[in-house]
Amino acid sequence: MYTIQHIQDLLSAKEKADLKIYTLGKFNLELDGQLISDNWGRDKAIQLFQFFLISRNRTALHKEQIIDRLWEEDGSDQDFKVSLHGINKVLEPNKKTRGQSKYFIRQGSSYKMNLDHVWIDSQTMESLIEIGNASLSNQPDVAMEAFEQAVKLYKGVFLPNRIYEDWTTTEREKLQMLALSAHISLASHLLEDQTNEAIRLMEEALNIDHTWEEAYRIQMMGHMLNGNRPQALRTYKKCVEVLEEEFGISPLPATKQIYDSIKNA
Amino acid sequence: MSKQVQTASFLLRFTQNIFEDEKGESNVQWRGKISHVQGNDQQSFSEISDAMEFIQKRLSELTLSSIEEDATPEEKEGILNKSMDIWKRLAKSYPKMVVEAIKDPKAQVSQIQEQISSKAEEFADRLQLESLKPMTKSDFNDLTSQMSDLAKAVKSLQRKVDKMDKKIR
Repeated sequence: MYTIQHIQDLLSAKEKADLKIYTLGKFNLELDGQLISDNWGRDKAIQLFQFFLISRNRTALHKEQIIDRLWEEDGSDQDFKVSLHGINKVLEPNKKTRGQSKYFIRQGSSYKMNLDHVWIDSQTMESLIEIGNASLSNQPDVAMEAFEQAVKLYKGVFLPNRIYEDWTTTEREKLQMLALSAHISLASHLLEDQTNEAIRLMEEALNIDHTWEEAYRIQMMGHMLNGNRPQALRTYKKCVEVLEEEFGISPLPATKQIYDSIKNA
Repeated sequence: MSKQVQTASFLLRFTQNIFEDEKGESNVQWRGKISHVQGNDQQSFSEISDAMEFIQKRLSELTLSSIEEDATPEEKEGILNKSMDIWKRLAKSYPKMVVEAIKDPKAQVSQIQEQISSKAEEFADRLQLESLKPMTKSDFNDLTSQMSDLAKAVKSLQRKVDKMDKKIR
């Protein structure tokens, strides 16, 4: 069973970490409280670092596997070596050439990231949503606090500068869906007491996926609770247009029922 | 050849909606979104055939972009031939992937399988490679575009017929 303390621990871990990694909306590194400039290394070095980040929960990967997955025929052993050296030079400038790395674990020719001193926004968001989902039925207050903090962390798509590279796609899709579900859960809970916030959250959800019908439903109900019938009707109209344009289908019966109740109000 | 190894990655998202229809019967609706990673373009769909068409168009473009202008007709034909073979194999193996991915009720899977199989045959019929031999890239692009427009028009007509059918019932 999770408590508010678990959420606070996750958030305070950021302050304790030597290296903070921001991946949502923009990629940034913060080392010992200092933001590292965007162009801290060759693109291959940045790619390699981001690949380690995505593979952080897997067992150590052999460098041949990494080269093949990341660069296919455009990468070589030398590229890997130079890129890893480039990363270490930025993260641990005082490390001796053959000294133990603080951020990477090496097992023969296999490597993985050492997370002991690292905080990652996307990983924290994922953990918060896990707490939220697990607490939803029996501890709604804990769940809502977790969702609220998770939503705050989602500042945009995962590694937006890598949207054309397929090794980032799975992680991006997973995080996007998690963020969407957190927005919906939180807005559903806030609808009656904090209606405007629920409507705003659904605007964010529609920015993530403008075909997400549940977001239109919650917005329609929110506008009605605010006494804004014309806006509720406009929201339904928008929903109909988007679904027709994107899928060639009509809204679900649940959405039509809300529309009927608004129309007859 | 301009580039011998090229990758096209596609991400498919399926969203399942279970609802009660007007007669109070339980119903399932699938909505999908397909994204082409390298091109960063995407398309929503409610019919799997639209997703297949999306993939086919990107793969054809990829093949065409790899054929240099000065390649001989034999080389062009050979590459297109092989590319279409790969596409046909992908299309035929797709139902199994869908079954494993979404673990849908048998009836729905069967429906998707039928759609895919008929679409694959349709593409095979449309793209008779012998007829492409004297074509330029521009001709091929025009033809692809016309086929796409035609498919959209048929789809739109089908929707209208479905709506009329519902009204009559």
